[in-house]
Amino acid sequence: MSEIILTNQLLSRQSFKEQCGIELNQLKDIHGRTPEFAVGNTPYLLEPASSVNSKPSTEGLSALNQLAPMYISRDLANLSLSFGSDNVLALTQIRNKLHEANVGITGAATSFYGNRVSGFIKAVQKYQDTLMQFRKVIEAKSPQRLAVEQKVNQAYKELQSIFHYEMESVTAQVKSRRGTALSNQDRGKNIARSSRNVAKLDVTSQAHASELAQFARYTKFLGNGLAVIDFTSRIGNIHNTHIADGNWHRQLFIESNSFAFSAITGTAIINIGAHGLGLMLAATPLGWVGLIIGGAVVAGAAAAGSIYMNDALKSNSGDWYDSIINALGI
Amino acid sequence: MSTFSQLLAVVAFLMFWVCILYVLFGQITVRKLRKNPKTKDALGMEYVSGWDIVNVASALAIPRSLSRKLEKGPLSYLYANSDLLFENTTKFDQLLGAIFYWLLIFTGLSGPVLVILNSFGLFDG
Repeated sequence: MSEIILTNQLLSRQSFKEQCGIELNQLKDIHGRTPEFAVGNTPYLLEPASSVNSKPSTEGLSALNQLAPMYISRDLANLSLSFGSDNVLALTQIRNKLHEANVGITGAATSFYGNRVSGFIKAVQKYQDTLMQFRKVIEAKSPQRLAVEQKVNQAYKELQSIFHYEMESVTAQVKSRRGTALSNQDRGKNIARSSRNVAKLDVTSQAHASELAQFARYTKFLGNGLAVIDFTSRIGNIHNTHIADGNWHRQLFIESNSFAFSAITGTAIINIGAHGLGLMLAATPLGWVGLIIGGAVVAGAAAAGSIYMNDALKSNSGDWYDSIINALGI
Repeated sequence: MSTFSQLLAVVAFLMFWVCILYVLFGQITVRKLRKNPKTKDALGMEYVSGWDIVNVASALAIPRSLSRKLEKGPLSYLYANSDLLFENTTKFDQLLGAIFYWLLIFTGLSGPVLVILNSFGLFDG
């Protein structure tokens, strides 16, 4: 197995070893030579130490060749540095799967999660702000104290009720017995009330904000990228038909029909599903488990609906095109 | 062309109008609401950008009692606030929203229903 090394900056032999713990002469560049220094955004092949002087594997070199163009290696370096290389590999696989299934609705689901994560971060910040406000009121011995305390309670309740699952995953890692401001609102109020040195109550750092922010970016990356992926594959179909001297107008009709109309199907099902879930939750003490299961059912139905519509439209709209053209006598 | 294909063509033709109405309703009504500071934050959750258009249409189209019930429930943050929207839209907006929404729901559900019926062999005979 061959490994590829990418950096986003120029590194000398010395600093490369310091940063990666790898000797530079274990690397091979695209021509199979050992580089003098590591150039940014250029892929290098990492060969096992035993084969330092032997020729690099052809398999590895062909992988290097594919990654060598600047626009690919630069994006890949940036993506790997911000998401982690494992995640980039996983993303690539997910992308390929979605490419097969071409479901716009999956985009909706991932965007939904992205929205939730950024909503959660906002709610944590709001809680933190109310705590700071509480502290100021106490220090100033202002009569508004009760009102502000109410606000703290409200913000905490909102966190707990709307972002139940996110709260659990974040506070599960907190080891302290007394808990933190995030896992326990009394603790939060006590810190705000008594500490002398709290210039800033950093609730957000306890919420691993950076991790979450990164995840939000990741879901956004998936969510917004998807429509583009789907669309380009369809444009590819049209273009191929054009090159093959086929009837590309007909292909354009088929592709645009099935893209837009399967999206309509998904939209309608999600909308009805969201209303149904809302009513169900309002009428019964079903709780969050019901919501998760119900949400999965709705998303599944929407995905299935739009996949089937896509297929049906693809296999039928060619005929419609022909009869429209016949009727118009073109 | 088979009966199934013809029926699906009718649905697809209506879906074509849904696309046009989606853009029209988004430009005429929802753009106005997005600019209005009173309604800006009351358009419901956007799963993907542009979804607020569907949310607004739904709030204007479904019966008021139903939307009030939804907005009181635990998922209220998903939906647009219908009371605010009715105060800030004209009769024309409401009519446009209702036509768009019911056409969207009708076509979006009848398509899959046709496909399911077809898979049972209903149109073979």
